[in-house]
Amino acid sequence: MTTVISTIVHETRLDELPPRTCAVVRRIETDGEDIQRLKTLGLCVGRQIEVVKSGDPLIIKIFGSRIGLSASLAARVWLEVCAPVACALQNLS
Amino acid sequence: MSDFHSNGSGSPVAEIFPRSRQLGKITIAPLPQQIKGAFTLALVGNPNAGKTTLFNALTGLRAKTANFPGTTVERRIGKTTIGGQEITLVDLPGLYGLESSAPEEKLASDAMRGRLAGQPAPDAVLVVVDATNLERNLFLAGEVLELKRPVIVALNMMDMAERENIRIDVEKLRAELGCVVVPVAARTGRGIDELRREIERLAGCAAIEPAAHFKTHCVTTCATCPYQKRYEWTESVSAKVMNAAALRRPQRTEKLDKFLTHPVTGVVAFLAVMLAFFFLIFWVAKIPMQLIDHLFATIGTWVAAQVTQPDLQSLLVNGVIGGVGGILVFLPQICILFFALSLLEDTGYLARAAFVMDKIMRKLGLPGKAFVPLLSAHACAIPAVMAARVVENPRDRLATILVAPLMACSARIPIYAMITALLFPQSPFKAALVFTGAYATGIFFALGMAWIFQRTILPGGSKPLVIELPPYRLPGLRTAFLHTFDRAKIFVKQAGTIILLISLLLWTLSHYPKSAPPAAAAAMTAQAAQLEKSGDKEQADELRATAGHLTAQSALQNSFAGKIGHVIEPAIKPLGFDWQIGIGIISSFAAREVIVSTLAVVYGVGEDAAEQNRTSLYDTLRHAARSNGAPVFTTATCMSLLVYYILAAQCLATSVVVRRETNSLKWPLFQIFYMTGLAYIAAFIVYHIFLNLV
Repeated sequence: MTTVISTIVHETRLDELPPRTCAVVRRIETDGEDIQRLKTLGLCVGRQIEVVKSGDPLIIKIFGSRIGLSASLAARVWLEVCAPVACALQNLS
Repeated sequence: MSDFHSNGSGSPVAEIFPRSRQLGKITIAPLPQQIKGAFTLALVGNPNAGKTTLFNALTGLRAKTANFPGTTVERRIGKTTIGGQEITLVDLPGLYGLESSAPEEKLASDAMRGRLAGQPAPDAVLVVVDATNLERNLFLAGEVLELKRPVIVALNMMDMAERENIRIDVEKLRAELGCVVVPVAARTGRGIDELRREIERLAGCAAIEPAAHFKTHCVTTCATCPYQKRYEWTESVSAKVMNAAALRRPQRTEKLDKFLTHPVTGVVAFLAVMLAFFFLIFWVAKIPMQLIDHLFATIGTWVAAQVTQPDLQSLLVNGVIGGVGGILVFLPQICILFFALSLLEDTGYLARAAFVMDKIMRKLGLPGKAFVPLLSAHACAIPAVMAARVVENPRDRLATILVAPLMACSARIPIYAMITALLFPQSPFKAALVFTGAYATGIFFALGMAWIFQRTILPGGSKPLVIELPPYRLPGLRTAFLHTFDRAKIFVKQAGTIILLISLLLWTLSHYPKSAPPAAAAAMTAQAAQLEKSGDKEQADELRATAGHLTAQSALQNSFAGKIGHVIEPAIKPLGFDWQIGIGIISSFAAREVIVSTLAVVYGVGEDAAEQNRTSLYDTLRHAARSNGAPVFTTATCMSLLVYYILAAQCLATSVVVRRETNSLKWPLFQIFYMTGLAYIAAFIVYHIFLNLV
């Protein structure tokens, strides 16, 4: 299932993404062990994600499940916020 | 998808558990003769996929827990007989993907692929997939299928999926994956028979090739993220096999999480849960603990009546029965703690506890989950050290284990009670202050040491929090019971034997070499006999008791423990302790509270006084004097002794458990060294402050 996001609103960091906004991961700044952990949980470039609860730690919804994430790690994830209409996640939650 | 919906006449159960099975493209070839025999099947799956519940449903009580060689990571091995064939099942640690860098996940992945030295790969792999979270779980299933090993996929938690209105077309999933897919509900036992049949069939056949359409993803073409393609695959598969309604997630978990992960209400809820938890292991556990105590006291009395030879009697009653009782008395706390912990984990709450406490605990260099073992340590360090397993990261777990015994455990209470009684016999308020201060000191030093360790011997910092918050579920009692049984068995078998040996050694130290009763005691006994003849039985008994106390006192003073007390006196003199307190310190290595009864014997009050008549013990101690007439238990000595017992590693049973949990001798030795060193310095400072103040 590939979701094509045509309308790009702006780029933001995961820890600054407001709740209930859906976004697509564009780049992850480090490639250490932590990023590897994120990737196995589904947080990798091209994936759609949504913040359920902001703060530190924050909760994101990705790939069917909810992940608790410390803000320091979230700050290394850059996203493109997608337009509300184009976001499948948004419509479902 | 249409196949799935057209079958709507039957019940949902029938849809999910199809009656007729067809194997489609799967090819089965007979197994070469030489491979038949012990067939090993490894269970892999995401954390929270119900892997352990399924393992328990297949094996039951016959499973054994063992470490991966040279590590502290555990796996469970169980045997089961299916269709006359013996199958060895190995429950590997939960993992999200095969390329994970976390030590537990890496070991699981290596074990499954036969990459561990001397450990052959399992004959087949049982991938446990959570039906309520198919997209995520299929990621690992896809990776495993690419290995081209014989695979069975157990589609677990089908009962939950039904309740959440998730419908999965098993036949379609089977076609997509190209392997056997068995829908099960491990918690209720549904589908287990069919799974056993599939295992039996697999064990009797050669490798089942995954279907041809299953291709390795992204070898060279995927420039951005090698995971991307695989995620797309799992998404497309789950979209094909699930009904659309299933994509909508249940709201219950989200509603609960609003409250339970909130910075304020979440912490309040957490504290309430922890309070209940602590109540269970501190007060509720007391009832069975007292029962065990009574039971062993009764057995001791009975044996004492049967065996009259004094040496043998003492060995059996104080050494063996006392020693075994001293181990089993830990069991109620261990069992209750692990039962409660298993329930907390199973409901999904433990992940929230880690989430809520993460920010606060991380400042101290510990992860949020470390709160649970550190709190448990206030009841007893042994279950606490064992419970440190909830902390996944090895570095964080080690830090937790190292500082946990600094928390004031219940064995310290009799000592605190003795010292407060000596210091402030008339003031319950001041006594309460000392008690509170003792607990606070323990917490302060534990957290402080955690902070120091983070910056010195355990560098690298705690890993930033990344934790899956699984949906809330009703916990499985069977899993909790089996988990508790498992932990209790490990404690009794692996720690219990060494603890028994240590308590026998300490018994020998305080009973040998033998010495004759002192002249004064012999004279008293003779006098008592005379008095009894003249009819004054009461006074005769009193005299005999005093003679007994004198004999015990002299026996202990002349024993190895007494000699060691003299030897270490120069070392402990700067803390304000004399050689008699030295004996108390030596003997209390078995258990801290033993110092109270040892002091009772050393100062000639008799062991009974420590149990029944505390006031007479405290009076005697208060009046105990050195050879020059100065009192032993001055305020300075009392404070010094208090500080020493708050901080010192006076519990070999804990050290034995630390040895097992860290799988090294280095860390328990380091722990004894640093705690006792800390205790010595702190007691020295406190002694001299009070000596100069008062």
